[in-house]
Amino acid sequence: MLELFNHPAAPEAIIAIAALVLLPVGAFVGNARAALISFLGILVLVAAAIVAGSNQLGVLFNGAFVHDDFAAFAKVAIFLASAVAIYLGHGWLARRDDEKFEFPVLIMLAALGMSMMVSAGDLISLYIGVELQSLALYVLAAFRRDEAKASEAGLKYFVLGALSSGILLYGVSLIYGFTGSLQFADISAAVAGGAGTGAVFGLVFLICGLAFKVSAAPFHMWTPDVYEGAPTPMVAFFAAAPKLAAMVLFARAMDAGFLGAQAQWSQVLMVIAAISFVVGAVGGLVQKNIKRLLAYSSIANIGYAILGIAAGTQMGLQAMLVFMVLYMVDVTAFFAVIMALQRNGQEMDTIESLRGLKREKPGKAIVLTILSLSVLGMPPFSGFWAKYYVFKAAIGAGLWPIAVAGLVASVVAAFYYLRIIKVMWFDEPVSPAGPSRAGPSWVAMAGAAFSFPLVLVALYWLDPLARHAAAAFGLQ
Amino acid sequence: MLQAIAFYLMAAVTLGSGLFVISARNPVHSVLWLILSFFSAAGLFVLMGAEFLAMLLVVVYVGAVAVLFLFVVMMLDVDFVRLREGYAQYLPIGGVVALLLMIEMVLVSFAVADRGAAAGKQIVAAAADASNAESIGRVLYTDYVYFFQAAGIVLLIAMIGAIVLTLRHKPHVKRQDIHTQVGRKRSNAMAVVTPKTGEGIADQ
Amino acid sequence: MVNLETLLVLAVFGPLVGAIVAGLFGKRIGNVPSQTVTTGLLFLSCAISWYAFARHTWGGQERFVVELLPFIQIGDFMSTWSIRFDALSATMLIVVTTVSALVHLYSWGYMADDPGKPRFFAYLSLFTFAMLALVTANDFMQLFFGWEGVGLASYLLIGFWFHKATANAASIKAFVVNRVGDFGFALGIFTVFAMFGTIRFDELFPLIPSMAGKTWHFIGQDWSALNLAGFLLFVGACGKSAQFFLHTWLPDAMEGPTPVSALIHAATMVTAGVYMVCLLSPLYEHALIARDIVCITGAVTSLFAATVGLAQNDIKRVIAYSTCSQLGYMFFAAGVGAYDAAMFHLFTHAAFKALLFLGAGSVIVGMHHEQDMRGMGGLRKYMPLTFAAMTIGTIAITGLGWPGVGGFAGFYSKDAIIEAAYAAGQHNNAGMFAFWIGVIVAGLTAYYSWRLAFMTFEGSKKWAHGHAHVADDHASHAQIESHSEPDASHDDHGHGHHGVDEHHPPKESPAPILIPLFVLSVAAIAAGFVFAPYFLGEHQADYWRGAIYGIGGEGAHAAGEHHEHPPQWVVFAPLVVSVLGLLFAAWFYLVKEGLAKRLADNGGPLHSFFYNKWFFDELYDFVFVKGAKAIGDAFKWADKNLIDRLGPDGFAWSSLFSAGRLSRIQSGYVYHYAFVMLLGVAGLLTFAFWLVS
Repeated sequence: MLELFNHPAAPEAIIAIAALVLLPVGAFVGNARAALISFLGILVLVAAAIVAGSNQLGVLFNGAFVHDDFAAFAKVAIFLASAVAIYLGHGWLARRDDEKFEFPVLIMLAALGMSMMVSAGDLISLYIGVELQSLALYVLAAFRRDEAKASEAGLKYFVLGALSSGILLYGVSLIYGFTGSLQFADISAAVAGGAGTGAVFGLVFLICGLAFKVSAAPFHMWTPDVYEGAPTPMVAFFAAAPKLAAMVLFARAMDAGFLGAQAQWSQVLMVIAAISFVVGAVGGLVQKNIKRLLAYSSIANIGYAILGIAAGTQMGLQAMLVFMVLYMVDVTAFFAVIMALQRNGQEMDTIESLRGLKREKPGKAIVLTILSLSVLGMPPFSGFWAKYYVFKAAIGAGLWPIAVAGLVASVVAAFYYLRIIKVMWFDEPVSPAGPSRAGPSWVAMAGAAFSFPLVLVALYWLDPLARHAAAAFGLQ
Repeated sequence: MLQAIAFYLMAAVTLGSGLFVISARNPVHSVLWLILSFFSAAGLFVLMGAEFLAMLLVVVYVGAVAVLFLFVVMMLDVDFVRLREGYAQYLPIGGVVALLLMIEMVLVSFAVADRGAAAGKQIVAAAADASNAESIGRVLYTDYVYFFQAAGIVLLIAMIGAIVLTLRHKPHVKRQDIHTQVGRKRSNAMAVVTPKTGEGIADQ
Repeated sequence: MVNLETLLVLAVFGPLVGAIVAGLFGKRIGNVPSQTVTTGLLFLSCAISWYAFARHTWGGQERFVVELLPFIQIGDFMSTWSIRFDALSATMLIVVTTVSALVHLYSWGYMADDPGKPRFFAYLSLFTFAMLALVTANDFMQLFFGWEGVGLASYLLIGFWFHKATANAASIKAFVVNRVGDFGFALGIFTVFAMFGTIRFDELFPLIPSMAGKTWHFIGQDWSALNLAGFLLFVGACGKSAQFFLHTWLPDAMEGPTPVSALIHAATMVTAGVYMVCLLSPLYEHALIARDIVCITGAVTSLFAATVGLAQNDIKRVIAYSTCSQLGYMFFAAGVGAYDAAMFHLFTHAAFKALLFLGAGSVIVGMHHEQDMRGMGGLRKYMPLTFAAMTIGTIAITGLGWPGVGGFAGFYSKDAIIEAAYAAGQHNNAGMFAFWIGVIVAGLTAYYSWRLAFMTFEGSKKWAHGHAHVADDHASHAQIESHSEPDASHDDHGHGHHGVDEHHPPKESPAPILIPLFVLSVAAIAAGFVFAPYFLGEHQADYWRGAIYGIGGEGAHAAGEHHEHPPQWVVFAPLVVSVLGLLFAAWFYLVKEGLAKRLADNGGPLHSFFYNKWFFDELYDFVFVKGAKAIGDAFKWADKNLIDRLGPDGFAWSSLFSAGRLSRIQSGYVYHYAFVMLLGVAGLLTFAFWLVS
């Protein structure tokens, strides 16, 4: 029995079976007992995380499913982030009397899709994983179906996601046509001596499709609207785990499949990273809504992560993993603060509504200040270490012009994080704030504590783990 | 020779109907052009010996998707004139981008013509004794079981999504509930009241 | 027994501790404790200095260096915080700590009414610490640290009454003019480091002879490296010691409280430049052009300042110009190679100039903060002790004494300088120039010094007739010292609490003021004949022991040309002109009282020229202040319209502009979004195609 848990695909099997079981159970017990389903969902995801971190590595289904160190690292992070998302989302929905048992099931299925993505060994599993995850996210974005903004967000996400899937599939077909295989191993062999125009075009389409999933510019257009419209806990989820999954998939596609074309994709990724820096940094300047602001922030941050991949070295992959994990913690906590706060029964999701927070909720103000400084990249907060890893890797790979561009973008982006801090600490409150929510508060405080000072301890084990994971592709 | 004629004919029809899909003034016409383009694409599949795919295209896309489109377009009250506002305005820049993409695709075609696709690999010939459908059926539950199951879950999510986003239990609609109907007792359906004179029973 | 090293560390850092205690905790611990701490530590420091000096002079204590901790280390550049103890630093230690201790004590009386006492004492102690760091420096870095430290303290103390606009302006002026000098000084240090690769004095000096002929090619010319270094360092000295062209800040510095003037702007800080030139005597002995520049600048300064001093009416300004003039003496002494005489004059000058300043302060207190000498007169009867002290100081500064017999402090040092200049003048035009100027200035010095004494203490009591300053009684409590620009003095009403008149005659000052006066009077009388044998006479070699180039060190030659006996007329010339000056002053201000005023009122170009300080302030105002403002305006325009517009503002603007554009693209329409995506695909494909081909 226990050997089953040691199987390379055990985490996915656990989640799939649990989701399929919990769905009819939920339908039977009804939405009133959704808390039970959520609780079980969290348990399953945590269990899957433990299994994913300890089970046997291996390649299954003729190379379509690859469970290596790289995938294992990402899976643990994804499952844990998904568990937190269920916790945050359930509380949020419960406060609105809109609990649905489908919510934890959808998160679990999204986690399954992400798990498929990070383990994708060929282009079909890549595509199906992406669709599995995306479809769940589309539904989650529109989960508050009676809110016009949420519906709009879900629809936009879906339509544009479909377009990006089309682009991605077109790239897959080109690659298949020009390399004769869908498997990364075979593709890698085919392009080992340098890729021809056709394969490179296919690769660019593939990159464009994946860039949409990680909301890198110029495929970012959906992000601000979806972040603003979708329910906050869903956005907290979108901003964390799916980004990591897509980045890991990105890295695998590039390094396992197209190492021979590194000269090309490295350049293309740098362009994407540079546009993302600029769009993320500049676009955030005029935003008034914090969720929109975080959307632009995530665009800029994805630019840094892509820079790690563009470096094309093991150090770059390590930097990308560390960056994404630290960013996930920051951004989840950031959204948790927004969920915890309310004014006049509304979430404090505009910058204006944060005015004078220091006076009313000093604890939250401190948490939000730490998180802002962290995302900004201020030492010694975690965001600084994240960027430090990326810039070190980028400069190590000789990409210093783009690293400089990234630094400049950080400076510009600092403006909007500092504005949040300024509004909280120096402005007068407009109207009294309501009581804050305990659940998200705890998450936010834990996140802030991780940002500083726990990150200093965490890096001691995160650093070697990420390095070990990044070694999976045997790069320098 | 005949095959070549058929190919060019159907390819031209596919492209032409595709063009009309986006240029037709009436969306209903657009959908009809789309159906035509699906048909001719299915013909192209048949020419290549992929008759199963051709059938899928006709059954799924023409039979289900496109007809669904047609119903939606016909049932929705869309202001077609407003929909086409700005067409001329967007045409130049859209045209430039389309031209750019087309040039690049042509370049890819040159690459194919030049070196051949699939890096010189030969396409695996279909087994002589089996039809398309049979060949696919052989691998679908064996080699590709992973994809098959995963695709199943994708469809499951689509179902869940459709239900979550659309199913409503309207509170004021009367439904028949057999269980309560059968389990009904006199005590929970009737009450004996003795109203005082002139007060009525409205408040009881 | 604690060894000398430890004691010296205590002596140097004691004042710093005092400054920290009084400066940071002064408000909390109160006035008297902070005054006690700083003054006590200063007296301790003073006692240690005298003990060390005695050990050096009579106990045969050898030169040593205590290295405390590395200060800066970058590559080859290495600076260590250390305490160098030799004849020069021993001399400076006692000068600095003694005057500083006395000034601390004096300030108890002088600053009695001031609300900012802890701050004042903290600044004084901070200054003392910086000055001690300067004199005990063993390399240029620490010297520079002390240099800037005293500059800072000077700035803070000149502007001590910060609500007085003129004091602020004066402090800024002092700071800015000193920056000019410091720039040269820093360049000089760079030059030395570039030449020798070290800034440690003990490593540097032995290397100098080997570099004597070295030249540097720069801007199409060959420059003698040593002369260049010497000149640049001297520019720094000029700034700090208020020499010609960079002297303008010193008279204005009199805006500070009088004890500050006595300590910083007479006895110690302004002599730092002289001290440095003497310390670097090995360098200047091999940089003869630079030495001549030192000589001529010093001579010109001494003449210039003395002439200006003739016509001033503000009691402190007269002494300030006198200081400037005496510093000129020291410089031209150094410039003719008589470093020992320069140091000795520094030593004696510290005593009598501090005495004069503190005496003037006593007069100012007695006159309720009246500084214009035209409003004084006849004070001898009311302030006899102050009068006695001031008279001793005046005799000392005029250098009265009979050659061969003896005299007051100034006599020994000034005559030694003039004789040295004459001796040097035998084979050097610069020396002869300095000699004649020295003689003339000796006469001028006697005139203006006695003029000061007579105007203040003798003659009629101008204050008795209800001088206008009684009227103005509303001045703020702390604003106790008037700003007395000469040209503004007529409407300067004195910001005292009460003016003096027949019914409120001036009173003698309290003990804290008189004790320092007494101590310094003794010094002004005795410093000359007690220490002349050590600084100049028969014990000279044993005293300096090589601290000054060529005296008592290894390879000492017949040190200084000034040991040959000059002709009798040269020896008596200073005496004669001094007496002449005395007689003129007596004629104008005692016998024919009022004659001078009539002459001054009638004007005459020469008087106006002197009165207006050779129009230096006007010239500088026109050239530098207005010029700098014009340049500044030009740069401001360029900064605003070019750099800011293209740089930070432009960047910010373009960021916001692009943000606006971005949010316009972010229209909310799905087809716009899709189009942007397709644009991205097309762009990236084109880029990839360009990469492949």
